[in-house]
Amino acid sequence: MKRVQILLLLAAVALAGGAVLAFSAPLDRLQGEYTRLLYVHVPTLWIAFLAFGLTAFGSIADLIRKKMRWDRRAAGSAEIGVLFSVVGVCTGMVWGQVVWGQAWAWSAARLATPGLLVFVYIGYLALRQAIDDPVRRARRAAILGTIAVVQTPLVYFSVNLWRTLHQTQSIRPDGSTMEPEMLVALLVNVAAFTIAYIALLVGRTFVSRLEEDAAPATELAGDQVSPPRLSEVEDV
Amino acid sequence: MSLRAQAREVARIDLVVERRVGDTLRIVLPFAVVALMIFSLATPSAITDLGDIGIAVFWGVAVLYGMQIALRISASETARRREVMSLIGLDPAARFLGRSFASAMMLMMFMTVLLVFTVVLFDPDLPDAWLPTMLLVIVLAASGLAMLSTLAGEVAGGLRNKSALASLIVAPLVVPVVVGASQTLESMNQDNGILLWILLLITTDLVLLTAGIGLSRPLEEASR
Repeated sequence: MKRVQILLLLAAVALAGGAVLAFSAPLDRLQGEYTRLLYVHVPTLWIAFLAFGLTAFGSIADLIRKKMRWDRRAAGSAEIGVLFSVVGVCTGMVWGQVVWGQAWAWSAARLATPGLLVFVYIGYLALRQAIDDPVRRARRAAILGTIAVVQTPLVYFSVNLWRTLHQTQSIRPDGSTMEPEMLVALLVNVAAFTIAYIALLVGRTFVSRLEEDAAPATELAGDQVSPPRLSEVEDV
Repeated sequence: MSLRAQAREVARIDLVVERRVGDTLRIVLPFAVVALMIFSLATPSAITDLGDIGIAVFWGVAVLYGMQIALRISASETARRREVMSLIGLDPAARFLGRSFASAMMLMMFMTVLLVFTVVLFDPDLPDAWLPTMLLVIVLAASGLAMLSTLAGEVAGGLRNKSALASLIVAPLVVPVVVGASQTLESMNQDNGILLWILLLITTDLVLLTAGIGLSRPLEEASR
């Protein structure tokens, strides 16, 4: 519990530092104040990819090691990933409305594919909710978590596959096209959001363990009793 | 009995069951054709040339209704039947391969017939020599959809909300297949190369094939 509190405090400090840099960084000449959305939009989508990547990793580890702690991490990461994806897509829509004049463009696959990625993990979470037995839930979710990562490369490379509204990556292995101050602010915010993700994941995993401990270990009275079938009572 | 022979037997049984039940031809295909007609009737009159949206509508209907074929009730197993199959030594990978192959065959037939209806009803803009490419794309797309639906059907198998849940799992995951399939003809129309999209379809199919074979044993354990 203490570790979760320390991590949450650290995340709050890092996010506050990131916000200061975001508000002191120079603005884009054309985008004005809306440039600042970049410092939320990029980190949240980065966290979404990281979270879904960890869900896949946790799922594979769960299939190999068959330890519940990997299932808890995978599930917690998927929940956080969905949350951050939604925030990332929404900030992108606000930015798109201002800069492109439209919030959503179907021709821009970079908009549509993360939107669909959210639904992949909503399906993952729905599957988890549909199964009561923790072991069966963990195994089936691990299989889906492993398959679900198939789509992630398509989403990531979609800006290069489709030459549409969305610009290609600003930060590449051969350098950056951004101003140095903007780049620093962006990287600090990415780091701050990553710490926030770790804090949320550790906290969620802790809560999941408490939930499992609180769940009844034995069957409830009446679990073994089933109502008589019609065919059994017809002759009476 | 080799893996191939086992898979062939599973596929044969699936196809025999489907021939007797006839869900694909008697129910899903007419339903999908009606959907095509609804699309054309619901299109605003401002869009004078339905051919512009014909292929897009085809892929939308083919994938969504194709899921009904791949997730058909006759392809699901009761827990008891699954146990019997395990006891007789049926390899889970063979079951995945056989079931996917049977679904892929049905989907190819379904998509081909649906394509004929699309061409007749929508008169879409088609590039020269489109048919061989389209048939190749149908084979690749049907295989991908079949494998993905088989996996989703197994993951959601035995649950009370299986059909809705499996559809929710398949629909967003099938995007690489839909994108690859729809963009191929679009690229041909614009005189661009189609290799990238064909490679996307092949890669997706190979990933699903590997995942299906690799995960078949854990899936069987999880289904008990």
